[in-house]
Amino acid sequence: MRFWQQTLPILITFVFGLALVLQYYVPHPASENFLQEISLWSQIIAGFAIVLGVGSLLSSHSKKIVRQESGWGYSAVLFVSMLTVFGAGLWAEGKSEGTFFGWLYDYVLVALQGTMFSLLAFFVASAAYRAFRARTLEATILLSAAVLVMAGRVPLGESLLPGVGALADWIMTVPNTAAQRGILIGVSLGAIATSIKIIFGIERAYLGGGDDA
Amino acid sequence: MRKFAARLLQLDRRFIFVLMSVVTVLPLLYPLGLPVRISPETQQLYDTLERLPERSVVLLSLDYDPASKPELYPMTVSLLRHAFARNLRVVALTLWPAGTSMAESAITHGAEEAGKKDGTDYVFLGYGPGEANAIISLGQGLTNAFPTDYAGRKTETLPVLAGVRSLRDIDYAISLSAGFPGLDTWYVYGKEKYGFELGGGCTAVSAPKFYPLLQTGQINGLLGGLRGAAEYETLLNQSGKATAGMDAQSATHFLIIGLIMVCNVCYLLGGRKG
Repeated sequence: MRFWQQTLPILITFVFGLALVLQYYVPHPASENFLQEISLWSQIIAGFAIVLGVGSLLSSHSKKIVRQESGWGYSAVLFVSMLTVFGAGLWAEGKSEGTFFGWLYDYVLVALQGTMFSLLAFFVASAAYRAFRARTLEATILLSAAVLVMAGRVPLGESLLPGVGALADWIMTVPNTAAQRGILIGVSLGAIATSIKIIFGIERAYLGGGDDA
Repeated sequence: MRKFAARLLQLDRRFIFVLMSVVTVLPLLYPLGLPVRISPETQQLYDTLERLPERSVVLLSLDYDPASKPELYPMTVSLLRHAFARNLRVVALTLWPAGTSMAESAITHGAEEAGKKDGTDYVFLGYGPGEANAIISLGQGLTNAFPTDYAGRKTETLPVLAGVRSLRDIDYAISLSAGFPGLDTWYVYGKEKYGFELGGGCTAVSAPKFYPLLQTGQINGLLGGLRGAAEYETLLNQSGKATAGMDAQSATHFLIIGLIMVCNVCYLLGGRKG
């Protein structure tokens, strides 16, 4: 059991992880064909992962409905919504123009997602009022930069305060770029370290199984 | 005075929500039409499309879903208008499953407006599953990654894809991205390996993270948020939804600036408490 649950996945990860790292530096046609084959396999696996994800979602929500757990009504809404959209998509053969599937997309999904995203503006305004205070020197610098960028990135600010646009551009291209580059290098080094740990079987959290993994 | 300042700091959030609604709606009803300054990063993207010879191949990856439609859809419309006006071949796709219908609608309407023919002047490949793998797969062979287009036609027979075997044959790629997978995925897995020119567009909130790539030339143009879309509309001399939205964005930015100032004045008057 241990072989199937741990040894084999670690072995597959090691072989394919190392092979793909090496492939990047080998421009031979055989190496390129290998990458092509792997990328197609990855896309197929990704397709099956969607099926697995949907199956898992439906399974967990159906249990909630059967047991009538707290909030089971929302699970029922999820079931009805998912099956309706899935059925409409199959019926329309995936085409949206002039179909019920397209109508659901345009008048339900677009409206719902647009509403959720636009709510951010209201919460940002409220949060800025409550939390954006000059308590320390660092907070004051952050606050000043935010005000300058907000004013400098809109036409009204550039009309009322000449020069603020150029100042906002400077903040974006100099201090922001420097900070973002530092973050980028740090994240990349972290990703390399984690990848090496996964390839060599040191990091095994992706196998699941809690303490056994 | 301290009491008043303290009370103001406890302002009901619903009052702020109402203010926000008013300053958003009013400029949409009564636009000011303030001029939009063109930023260098938008100009660079525009110039790249201008420099491409006719019938060059532009790949447009519409990597967003309806949540980011207000910012990224106007960019899509403008870029399509520009590409079609320059008689460039457009190959469109999306890496976001929820963006498929929107992407198809954008390219279909853009092509109809410009009188372009499906399969000859443009093609919509549909959704590419597998995130970064979809890009690698395209880089290794377009017809393998997408044997058929969104309409179900064999891609190897489409005139628009004549001479386009992989990403190496793309003259310019643009990713309009709302997150992952998006512009940075295209840079890491696409441009770096297959060596094509890359530009992009993104939501305003994610624009700052792309400035290092812009400075080093790893991407050669960037449309940042609604502002970027409005700048592109200005360059095309075609006012659209982005330009119309800029007044509302101006007003909301200044409302937030005003709220920050009021809260800080109250904070100082209240003896730095709260």
